[in-house]
Amino acid sequence: MNLPDAIRTTRWMIRDTIRQSIATKLFWVMLGATVISTLFCLSVSVHNDTPPRVYEWDHPGVLPKYEADKLGMKKLENDGVRVISGEMTLGFGMMTVPVGRNREDSVRQLELILVGLVADTAGVLLALLWTAGFLPTFLEPQSATVLLAKPTPRWAILLGKYLGVVLFVALNAVLFIGGTWLALGIKTGVWFGAYWLAVPLLIVNFGIFYAVSAFFAVWTRSTVASAFGTILFWFLCWMMNYTHHRLTAFPIEGMTATSHLFLDMGYWLLPKPLDLGGIFFDAMYSDGFGVKSEELRLVQEAGRFRPELSVLASATFAAGTLALTAYEFEMTDY
Amino acid sequence: MTAAVAFENVEKTYKTGYFGRNGVAAVRGISLTIPTGCVFGLLGPNRAGKTTLVKLLLSLSSPSAGTIARLGEPISKRHTLARVGYMHENHAFPRYLSAVEVLHFYGGLSGVPTGELRDRATKLLDRVGLSDRGLEPINRFSKGMVQRLGLAQALMNDPDLLILDEPTEGLDLMGRQLLRDVITEFRTAKKTVLLVSHVLSEVEELCDELAVIVAGSLAYRGNLNELIGPPGPTRRSLEQALLGLYQSGLYQKGATA
Repeated sequence: MNLPDAIRTTRWMIRDTIRQSIATKLFWVMLGATVISTLFCLSVSVHNDTPPRVYEWDHPGVLPKYEADKLGMKKLENDGVRVISGEMTLGFGMMTVPVGRNREDSVRQLELILVGLVADTAGVLLALLWTAGFLPTFLEPQSATVLLAKPTPRWAILLGKYLGVVLFVALNAVLFIGGTWLALGIKTGVWFGAYWLAVPLLIVNFGIFYAVSAFFAVWTRSTVASAFGTILFWFLCWMMNYTHHRLTAFPIEGMTATSHLFLDMGYWLLPKPLDLGGIFFDAMYSDGFGVKSEELRLVQEAGRFRPELSVLASATFAAGTLALTAYEFEMTDY
Repeated sequence: MTAAVAFENVEKTYKTGYFGRNGVAAVRGISLTIPTGCVFGLLGPNRAGKTTLVKLLLSLSSPSAGTIARLGEPISKRHTLARVGYMHENHAFPRYLSAVEVLHFYGGLSGVPTGELRDRATKLLDRVGLSDRGLEPINRFSKGMVQRLGLAQALMNDPDLLILDEPTEGLDLMGRQLLRDVITEFRTAKKTVLLVSHVLSEVEELCDELAVIVAGSLAYRGNLNELIGPPGPTRRSLEQALLGLYQSGLYQKGATA
């Protein structure tokens, strides 16, 4: 292996991929989504928030204040009914949502939705779809022959392309998290630092599945196969992750040890998108306002959830997939 | 003197069918040497195996058997590709790049020092007649312009071995003349050119030696006069000579160089 050639190749490929991202308008689409999300956060304000109250029972009745006024506050309080007195306005006052918690919890709940649904689910899946064409375009025979006839190790071409795409998504993740964090901080005065943990979460989540996308791209040289193969694989992983926790939390009678073994193997072998979401949920101290997957909660309570091992196993899967992709790329005739 | 290129009993079989159980032989036991400083023509009918041979030489494919040396070293030593320029008939450069960016990108990958990229790109764009279009995205370029850019790209690393696979495809008269000038300069500089072409007039005019591949095997290797005969009434045209070779199967005169 010629290390200077490999480093030079990787550097040029990263540079080219960033250029490709900007030229394909993808950067501007993602930036547009970030700007819209940031404007949305700038439109948020919280009024009359109440401190969190702890009730003795699991599911206390909750009523908006205007409903509570009709029934009489004193009676409701005696009955232990929770009264929502605060409100969050969205869209510069166009929409009002009653909130029964304090300001910080209200903002953190919004941040959890922004990361969990907008960025980590919709954002990552869309980014996987959009970037799925990057490698197949490059690997079309007419393009690839000149590129591969250079003194460039093939694995370094692949690594450069992979890192370029991941860096591009990382840049967008920083802009998204930074923009929304800043906007919410300015508008509500809540500056919750753990929100920034979403950046590595998004990068790791995307990076794992982009390795799969790269494998499909090299194997099939088809954008469609790469895009849909990766999305299907994401669902498969999510289902495996969920099924593992479900059957750990609620064991089925008669399930054999062999079945458990295969289930555990599948869980540890494949990436774990549900676990990554759970890790962020915990980092945001979301128990006061959010509902975690019941299965994940029970697995955690049983002491059978190892977040660091879960992330490590997922990252190992990505590294293994990339190595396999590099081997396939090396062996392919052009 | 070391040969610029040496093929030794090279075979290439492409696997086909499920699990690669079937195979199509594209190159069958070719041994061929291309001397340094020579303009060498590679001829043959369609699907004869010429492009496969070029791909093997460029490490785009791996040989099924035999050995190949490029600029005196085995093809597994990829660093020798830094001294090779390659232009083929149907370039597809990344459409989002400008002509200058294309040259910087491929020059950079070839190992041209960053500080020299700008100067070389400017000179080469001027040379191929694209100096006024250097900053335009190449998706606005015609096929001929892309071919000119392909030639500039092949010259960015100042190669010792220039491989041209059907290079005149899409080039106008001026472009063809430019290509002839480049080949002549290579000959003068004692550098090697491997020219794969169906344009026989070019081969007759430019090549010092040539090889003919038919059905994956070497059908002829020698100089032009040996193939078409000495000047005089018995001399055949190159076209007649090649048709004779293509139709009569293998003609092994001087098959190993």
